[in-house]
Amino acid sequence: MEKATVVVVGGGATGVGILRDLAMRGVDVMLVEKQDLVNGASSRYHGLLHSGGRYAVKDQEAAKECIIENTILRKIGKSCVEASGGMFICLDIDREQDPTYEEQWVQGCKDSGIEARQISLDEAFRLEPLLSRHVVSAYLVPDAAIDGFRMSWQNVDSAKRYGGRLKTYTEVIGVITENGTVKGVKVRDYFSGEEYEIACDILVNAAGGWAGELAQLAGLEVGVQPDKGTLLAFNQRLTSHVVNRLHKSSDGDIFVPHGSITILGTTSMSVPSAEDTSTAREEVEKLMSIGEKTFEHLRDCRMLRAFAGSRPLYIPPGGSLGRGASRGFAIVDHEKQDGLKGMFTIVGGKFTTYRLMAEKMADAVAAKLGNTEPCRTAEEPLVPEVSEADKKAARKYFPAYGTDLAATRLGPERFARVTETLKNNPEKRELLCECENVTVGEVEEMAKELSSFRINDIRRRTRLGMGTCQANFCALRSASVFARVGRDEGAKDSLGQMKEFLQGRWKGIRPVLLGRTIRETEMTRALYELSFNVNGHRIGGDKE
Amino acid sequence: MKHTDVIVIGSGLAGLTAALASARQGKSVTLLSYGSSSLSLNSGLIDFLGYDDSHKAVKSPREGIMGLPETHPYSKIGMEEIAEAVDFFRDFAKEYHMPYHGSLDKQILVPTAVGTLKPTCLAPHSLAGSESLEGKKKIVVAGIRGLKDFYADIMVENLKKSLGDDLAYETIEIETPLTGGRDITTLDVARWLDTPEGVDSFSKQLLAYKGKKDTAVIVPQVLGTKGHACYLTVSSRIETDIVETTGLPPSTNGLRLNAMFRQALRDNNVEIVENTKVIGSKCEGKACKCVIAEAGVREKTYTADKYILATGGFYSGGITMRSFDQPEEPIFHLPVYSVKGEENWSNEQLFSDKPQGYAKTGIMTDETLRPVDEQGQHVLENVFVVGRDLGGYDLCFEHSGNGVALASGYKAAKM
Repeated sequence: MEKATVVVVGGGATGVGILRDLAMRGVDVMLVEKQDLVNGASSRYHGLLHSGGRYAVKDQEAAKECIIENTILRKIGKSCVEASGGMFICLDIDREQDPTYEEQWVQGCKDSGIEARQISLDEAFRLEPLLSRHVVSAYLVPDAAIDGFRMSWQNVDSAKRYGGRLKTYTEVIGVITENGTVKGVKVRDYFSGEEYEIACDILVNAAGGWAGELAQLAGLEVGVQPDKGTLLAFNQRLTSHVVNRLHKSSDGDIFVPHGSITILGTTSMSVPSAEDTSTAREEVEKLMSIGEKTFEHLRDCRMLRAFAGSRPLYIPPGGSLGRGASRGFAIVDHEKQDGLKGMFTIVGGKFTTYRLMAEKMADAVAAKLGNTEPCRTAEEPLVPEVSEADKKAARKYFPAYGTDLAATRLGPERFARVTETLKNNPEKRELLCECENVTVGEVEEMAKELSSFRINDIRRRTRLGMGTCQANFCALRSASVFARVGRDEGAKDSLGQMKEFLQGRWKGIRPVLLGRTIRETEMTRALYELSFNVNGHRIGGDKE
Repeated sequence: MKHTDVIVIGSGLAGLTAALASARQGKSVTLLSYGSSSLSLNSGLIDFLGYDDSHKAVKSPREGIMGLPETHPYSKIGMEEIAEAVDFFRDFAKEYHMPYHGSLDKQILVPTAVGTLKPTCLAPHSLAGSESLEGKKKIVVAGIRGLKDFYADIMVENLKKSLGDDLAYETIEIETPLTGGRDITTLDVARWLDTPEGVDSFSKQLLAYKGKKDTAVIVPQVLGTKGHACYLTVSSRIETDIVETTGLPPSTNGLRLNAMFRQALRDNNVEIVENTKVIGSKCEGKACKCVIAEAGVREKTYTADKYILATGGFYSGGITMRSFDQPEEPIFHLPVYSVKGEENWSNEQLFSDKPQGYAKTGIMTDETLRPVDEQGQHVLENVFVVGRDLGGYDLCFEHSGNGVALASGYKAAKM
């Protein structure tokens, strides 16, 4: 039987943070995740690295944590953070609604240690020309954008250097207990359906929106309310800063620029299951009508897609739901609470404070194990940086703007390998994804990894297919490259992979199928349905 | 302000057909074109009807079309005019040196770049796949070194499922002098094959298969940009059947078709006005008096007795929609039909056995292709609607886009 001292369940930011933290303390730790990494709320959110400004009035504890962690993540995760800076804007309607809020907010930032600098309206419109002229005051704060996919994979890469192990597409289907003590977990392989056991001394439930279901497998109850947030991605940078409305936190009032796109979010809606990542037209309309207050011409911008994820809100007995519920986190020691030895649940919190949550959780686990190593996750960078000299040497092999992007995506070891590939095989310099500047060489590097089972797994690590064309051109290419070099047997089904990849894009496109988005969809269908007949039957009626 | 008998707005396949057919009837024609037309994204294969409403493969497009509902554009056009349009197109293609094969009575199956087969009605000889592949024992897939978007090995894997794995398959790679710079497209290779050196080199590299009657060579769409000249030369040199596939844009065959049409339009004195975006119109009662176009920084007006709207539906901005359930036609503000409600607008699966509701959005017409309102009354008497602007059909689902474009363009010209 496979064995690890600690098994962590859930490949979101919290889970990978714990994996890294414990591995760095020398603990034998394994993470299991039922899908690919960051399939839940850790990627299905707006990718905002909070300054804490958003919590400055309501929850100063959270605000203080945010600004401290914000500073740490900028240092340890340089290549995941786009230090765009943030702007809080107060609209005339905001001021009318609550004339005292701005003052409270300024004071709250001050008390929480967040630097909020007021700027003139001229300055605000110079920095963000598309802003509504209904803005009455503006402040700059140290918000930033953060790439949830990359941050999480870099945690794993770091953990692996210390012996941490990862199994994706491995779902926990049972918790094995003996005499009130956890002995291990029973898991199922997503692709083969094979079921087997993994022994452990301590089980950490970091399953986010699924934490309640996992607890049930051990016969326990954990109050987790999945709270769905829907977001819209626009096909351009509408802003250069993160733009927040300066009012009591509400739906759809944050714009976060990422690379070549902008994300608008988010809504808040209790749902029965974290699996519900659907988006209704009503939610899109709601976000648009709120977003239009900040950027009045929003409706003329092309939407790329909509997506949704569930915040795992922790509900202690008698607690409240929705936006009123705490964004804080909780650690439950099930030995103390339920008399089950060797199991913890960590739930709630937010992406910005994932490292702190992991630290607290690892402290508790280490204490049980008698491990006295200190936490070092705040000091050591997730991955070493690619040196300027290496980047310079690589420039002649990468596409014009592609070197820096590839360096941040790949980290030093993979970057060195890809550079070598491109140097020796000029045909691998071909751009497989023009929108995100990804070469054939880079896609091959990721396609060969043992954790790549589907094109979507490669997408999350390269950004392939996430840009303007939403996979119109790279679906054919990536399916072909994957079929050629992928290690998993499933990679060989190029048509199946291609269809699955396009279907994944379609899921997000469908709720925003308005005029400009339809143009792109018509292109997708004309290429794949008409020209390639991937939906076709053979003459005679047999399905292909 | 210049006046012609006919103004055609839009230079995709429907617009080009409408302009040519009008001119051939002795009308003076102005073609207003914005951008580089959709032909570079169009396979240039004329599909009429590949699948019925339940997604069953249609063996005879003629019979399939007879069974379509009244709301379908083909039902408005009528079988007689559709058949005439086919003859019109075949005669014109032959005259301009790229004869098209096929008929309304059966499907030609064209190999695609992913190794599936695509049904179509009319295809130039180089793309008339099943006609050349019939009875072959060996398939050679010839890739081009450095060519983007053509993966011979993957294509063979899927071809085995489409054509059967009892055939022998081989892949080879053709060398060209084009490597070493930017990514190479099919169009680059096709231009190389327009030159005598290109054809020489290409044919020589295929000599191993010379005269092998049981073998077919499949290549990406690279056999020259000018009609079927290159296809004829290569075929006669290697004396073996050679077949092109469909592929990602740029579509060499779409551009061949475009070049052919443009030549024919010039020969028939059609005035082509490029880079002109029509943004509105002036109408009095049920008559359009002129259309207004943006030409650079100026606005210009064009007048005619008859206007043919071929602006390409959603695909080309001929229909827009800023808010759900409110599609608009921005030039004449014609009533636009669409299915209403979120649940009808699209399917959960991108590819399935059901047409996509949104795709049926478009302008409804009577049998003369004049736009009508919900009561079936004419909105404008001298405006005709063709191609993708028409409502009531999902061309990607049923494989009918170029057929509707051709037949409606032809009919509108006759009205």
